[in-house]
Amino acid sequence: MDRNIRWLLVSPAILIIVALTIFPLAFSLWVSFVQFDFSISNAHPWVGLRNFKETWQDPVWVHSLLVTAILATLAVVIELALGFVLALAMLRPFRGRRGLMVLFVIPLFISPVIAGGFFDLFLRRPFGPMNWLLSGLLRHPVSIDFTVDGRWPYFSLLLADAWQWTPFVFVILLAGLSAIPDELYEATEIDGATPRRAFFFVTLPLLTPIILIAVTFRFIDATKLFDIIYSLTRGGPGTETYTSSYYLYQQGFEFFHLGQGTAGAWMFTIMLTFVSFWLVRRLLDPVEE
Amino acid sequence: MSDDNSGDLDGIFDKPLGRRDFLFDSAKLMAAATAAGPFFMAAKQAAAAERASLGGDPIASGAAAAAKKNFNGVGITKIAESGPQALEPKNFSGPLWKKLTGGSVSVVEAPFANIHSKALAEHLAKSGALDVIDTSPAWIPEFADRGVIIPIDQLVAKYKAKATFNDLHPLYRLLSKYKGKTWGFFDDGDVWNLYYRKDIFGNPKLKKAYKAKFKRDLRVPTSWHEFDETAQFITDQMAPNVYGANEGRALGNPGNQFYFFQQFRNRGGRFFDSKTMKSQINNALGVGAMTDIMKELKASSPGIEKLDFVSSWGLWLNGKTAMIYAWPPTGRISENYAQRDKAFAFLPKSKIVGKTGYALMPGKNGEHAGSFIQCVAADSKNKEAAFLYALWATSPSISLQRVMLPYTLRDPYRISHYKSKAYRALWPSAKEYLITLAEAANNAVIDMQMTGAADYANALDREMTAIYAGKDVKKGLDDAAKEWDSVTKKLGVDNQRKAYAEYLKLPGATAANTVSKLGLAVHIT
Repeated sequence: MDRNIRWLLVSPAILIIVALTIFPLAFSLWVSFVQFDFSISNAHPWVGLRNFKETWQDPVWVHSLLVTAILATLAVVIELALGFVLALAMLRPFRGRRGLMVLFVIPLFISPVIAGGFFDLFLRRPFGPMNWLLSGLLRHPVSIDFTVDGRWPYFSLLLADAWQWTPFVFVILLAGLSAIPDELYEATEIDGATPRRAFFFVTLPLLTPIILIAVTFRFIDATKLFDIIYSLTRGGPGTETYTSSYYLYQQGFEFFHLGQGTAGAWMFTIMLTFVSFWLVRRLLDPVEE
Repeated sequence: MSDDNSGDLDGIFDKPLGRRDFLFDSAKLMAAATAAGPFFMAAKQAAAAERASLGGDPIASGAAAAAKKNFNGVGITKIAESGPQALEPKNFSGPLWKKLTGGSVSVVEAPFANIHSKALAEHLAKSGALDVIDTSPAWIPEFADRGVIIPIDQLVAKYKAKATFNDLHPLYRLLSKYKGKTWGFFDDGDVWNLYYRKDIFGNPKLKKAYKAKFKRDLRVPTSWHEFDETAQFITDQMAPNVYGANEGRALGNPGNQFYFFQQFRNRGGRFFDSKTMKSQINNALGVGAMTDIMKELKASSPGIEKLDFVSSWGLWLNGKTAMIYAWPPTGRISENYAQRDKAFAFLPKSKIVGKTGYALMPGKNGEHAGSFIQCVAADSKNKEAAFLYALWATSPSISLQRVMLPYTLRDPYRISHYKSKAYRALWPSAKEYLITLAEAANNAVIDMQMTGAADYANALDREMTAIYAGKDVKKGLDDAAKEWDSVTKKLGVDNQRKAYAEYLKLPGATAANTVSKLGLAVHIT
């Protein structure tokens, strides 16, 4: 009787998990091995690894993987550096600190699509103020199309991403810094350590697990970069700023090449799992030791 | 007619209007206008459409009467392009249909390209959520082959509505046909024309400078070479106040492939080799067309590569552009006809009223870009009610009222539209505008209309934006052609060969078989 009740109680949760997670996953796995391309036919014959092969043979997919890796790495590095500096600056109380904290955190609550749209307007030539600001600062006319010219589209994406997500890193690192006991700094001061040595031998080692948490979360999130690209560059010019998420979205939901899109999504998930696994292992190392 | 109108004025002041009455009536009028919104402006059109539906037009009245009798109270859902395109069914044909038949029309909005994906997604899910689909002609083969929409021939026969097709301009008659069947009612004459500033082309100083430079008179360009030359000349003379050309080139808005398709085919280009199905867009004709487009870009405002089509309209209405080639609403917004309605507040008021001239595109072959056909969804639970609504809305008299709405983006497509006295009276040069639209349809080239059209268009659109950003023209077109070949391979070379052969039968598929070249031209006077 007790055993039956136990099953009865967990069954709604199991049903929800099966319906919302297991079934869609299994279905998508099946889709990636059949022809599920609406522009070809309504039938879904088994095609084996063809969808995977076709995706790999698409130069845009390979390019998008590269763009994803570069943008995610750069975004995390920039956000970590800026977040760290901000957290250190905001650690000690000063007048106006609360107001500044609120200001810094606001971008986190803004939808990424809106953030992308905002930067589109800000950077757009000739109406956006960016060229005007630069012209004033550099004292000569500047006319750059930040979402079209040369490598500027990457700069634009990183700027928008960093603006939105640096506060996230900042908040986590600030929490970590605040948790380091003052006694440790007092002890290093008594031992005659300079502030620089205290930073490298006390702050940094104690903050490493927190930094890893921030890096792990941000890296996993940054590899899925989509919204800002959708509203800022639309993957352009050409396919220059296609990330894997943007490529897969287009294959799956704009052109309904669902077989190929799903195969790509599986490959991307597997790659991301390896990276995440490595990062999480690093994260757990100090705990396990 | 006497110039003395005092008698009329006396009539108005027969009954003195008190201050209280005046204030009360004004308040009532303002409240009605606020409540009715865009619909308020269309009261005249609504009354005319209602009259037609109650006996004035046999097709409209037949459809409305059948729906009232057999489907009273049956609601239908239509998917339409978000923004101004959706305003019409929401504010005009939808409420009127409900009044006439008791059946409501709900409108689901989606951006142009997303109508395609949403219709497919709903069909995959067999949701039955959509009854009427605003379908671009380019999607008809795919929707028909995949069973997203149904052929309507049997229903047309059942309701004896064949006459509704007679009045269509010959360019539009076959766009809803595929594999010998009819898949919907054509509903939007989206042909491109050249709109130019008469005051600039008539400017004596400019004319003199042009003659000195080119040893010929300044005139509205008739070839793409002349267009680029003239646009650059005007830009050199008048920028930054006025630029020769200003077509928005943002990715997907309006879709750079339209520009290329138009100029490529004007040069005699064909999309594919009919035998091998190898893409031809990167041949010498393609490179020539793309090089011309780059010249045009040089004569445009800085940043035009990222501006969308509505921004182009903004520049044009503000008097910043000497020539624009665009969809027919350009003629209406130039005269502030559309901006009278608050629904068009997203556009500035025109500063060029009375200054717009209409001409055929350089080289004559304007693109028939986008457009809509009202189709019945295969998964609809109310197919017949949906059919009757589409038949009624696109019937000669109802469609005339719809294309005359101030806030409409639906454009004239019937011979009766071009000849309509009511339309010709909308602004002083409306007659000339309608004549040019009909003539443009005689010479137009149509979008690619075959399975894979969206993939081909996207590949080209993307590569064109890369070329704008500095990629070599030939390399960009080679890459686009490579992508086209891989799409063809994926869809099956044989399938695509057959589809392309079908497409080539349509008037306007190439510059060699326009309505005019086929001897089917309709000349409106």
